[in-house]
Amino acid sequence: MFTLLRDLRRLRRQLDLPHRTGSLAIRHCDVGSCNGCEHELTLASGPHYDLSRFGLGMVASPRHADVLLVTGAITSRMSTALRRAYEAMPEPRRVAALGDCALGIGLLGSPDDILGPVELVLPVDLQIPGCPPTPDAIATALFGLLASRPAGQGVTVGRPLGSADEQPTGERRID
Amino acid sequence: MSGYRGDVADALSGSAIFGALYATGPVVRTVLIGPDGSPGLISAPVVEGSVPSIVDLAPAAGWDEREAADLYGVGFNGHSPMRPLVAHGAALEDWTVRVSGHDAYQVAVGPIHAGVIESGHFRFHVVGDRILHLDAQLFYKHRGLQAAAEGRRLREAMALVARTCAACSVTNAIAYADACEQVLALEPPSELRRVRTILVELERVWNHLNDVSAICAGVGMAAGNAAFAALTERARRLNDALTGHRFLRGAVQVGASDLDWDASAVRRAANELDSVRTDAARAWRELAFNASFQDRLAGVGVIDAGRARALGVVGPAARAAGLDRDERCHSGRLSYDGFAPALPERPDGDVRARYEQRALELWQSFDLLGMLLDRPVTASRAEPGPAVRIPGAGPGDETGIGVVEGPRGRTVCILEARDGQVIRLQLRTASFANWPAVAAAAAGSLLPDFPLINKSFELCYACVDR
Ligand code: SF4
Repeated sequence: MFTLLRDLRRLRRQLDLPHRTGSLAIRHCDVGSCNGCEHELTLASGPHYDLSRFGLGMVASPRHADVLLVTGAITSRMSTALRRAYEAMPEPRRVAALGDCALGIGLLGSPDDILGPVELVLPVDLQIPGCPPTPDAIATALFGLLASRPAGQGVTVGRPLGSADEQPTGERRID
Repeated sequence: MSGYRGDVADALSGSAIFGALYATGPVVRTVLIGPDGSPGLISAPVVEGSVPSIVDLAPAAGWDEREAADLYGVGFNGHSPMRPLVAHGAALEDWTVRVSGHDAYQVAVGPIHAGVIESGHFRFHVVGDRILHLDAQLFYKHRGLQAAAEGRRLREAMALVARTCAACSVTNAIAYADACEQVLALEPPSELRRVRTILVELERVWNHLNDVSAICAGVGMAAGNAAFAALTERARRLNDALTGHRFLRGAVQVGASDLDWDASAVRRAANELDSVRTDAARAWRELAFNASFQDRLAGVGVIDAGRARALGVVGPAARAAGLDRDERCHSGRLSYDGFAPALPERPDGDVRARYEQRALELWQSFDLLGMLLDRPVTASRAEPGPAVRIPGAGPGDETGIGVVEGPRGRTVCILEARDGQVIRLQLRTASFANWPAVAAAAAGSLLPDFPLINKSFELCYACVDR
């Protein structure tokens, strides 16, 4: 085991990854991919790119997420789940569309089964083109998101799920 | 028994195995595969909306019949209860098995999972931590790819097949190219066979490295997960260097190959594979001597030989249970002369056996690639050959059936064509074959072991949902 850890440490040193500050919690949501974008996203968290080292962590629930990272073109069967995942996120929240399918480029399939790109259902803040984008491209694009601030000053956080008019309590503002 | 069922029963009691079942509008066809890997068809006309079911003869046909029922509205007499598979929206009690008793309850997971995983819904029936039964509802990613292929030119439909699933892109593409070439009366010359074999072995290498990494992740073994993820990355970079795509997509075409690797490109690839192999063997040894890790794998999620045979399990999962079937033994349209499957010392059919099977096959693939990459690769074209007649296909039908052993096992691609256009395309992937076994392996196991069991099969959802 020590050998293994030593090898990994050596790899880390060879790669000489830069340091950054800040963090983003990312929730991945596959709405109809070919599995290619997932495989590359997985490796973006692997030792060569190691997203978590830059504060970019994959989280298990949309409730903990700053970013919804969506892969695939939306199938008719996944649109409800996608909307629900988005609704479950606290604000400020952002959406990243990962891969050509999510961006609506060169979609394949039957019109009855495929609704279309992510922007059809959710506002997209970050587009990561490629079929699939390489882990390098994914990491670079997400670093960009880390550097930028969500659009609009003073975003509402802590709004309860569902409709805002129900109980507009507990609002905090950040800038 | 006579007619369709009788014919299927006869074939199965001989030496054939179930390969696939699919519906067109007016007929249902069963594909049976002989011991020499050659496929044949047995058809049943749809009479008053239904055909006899063969699920009692071949339990492996269960999902195929359910899919045909949902997508083509065919009834299967004798398949009862007929639960929806592709069709969503049914009431819970209509698509799940009823489980009741003291303290039994359900745990619903998905379609969105906790990690970076494809979407699908699982319903675990449990008592405490013990899984009594698992119902999987997949097809959330159903893109209608097979239907979209209908009416397209044969070469054009390749894009749909290659983008069905990234992890099995070469396997699916070769199966489809084979089927097309049978219809077009084309034969791959030895150079084309060699380059396709190299591609499918490269696909196996990166997938098996990825699977070992995933199994480590399934028990929280971070060092093993990271080590094999790094090796997966290197394998994908090699894919990119050789074909311009990290998943080798676009490298397989119908009737031709444009790949042209000179001596130095081939040498660099062989050297990198050697180096990946050395590092993989090192990491594998480290894991072999980690007792706490190894203890987590043994005896978990068992599918023994009997159940594997009944469920029609394919690929490494079947070989880990002691079944010796590997389509590479008789892949006449690929370069596998003298191939013998790698079989485990302990064919226990548990997570450990499936994990160890990945390594056995990895070393074998490295050996094969070493031999195949001994000289430059040049562009090649398929040559006119004798028309292939699939036994059981109708006289006027142009039917081709490609059978390829991919990383997850046997993938069968059935193509019915007319005038160079796709009439019907059915891609029965290894993942489609093995999903029922994942559910079967989960029953009796602990709920927290499910990720591990799932990863030990490491099936694609995209390959099933299509
Ligand atoms: S963009 Fe490409 S790799 Fe990603 S899901 Fe779509 S087809 Fe697959």
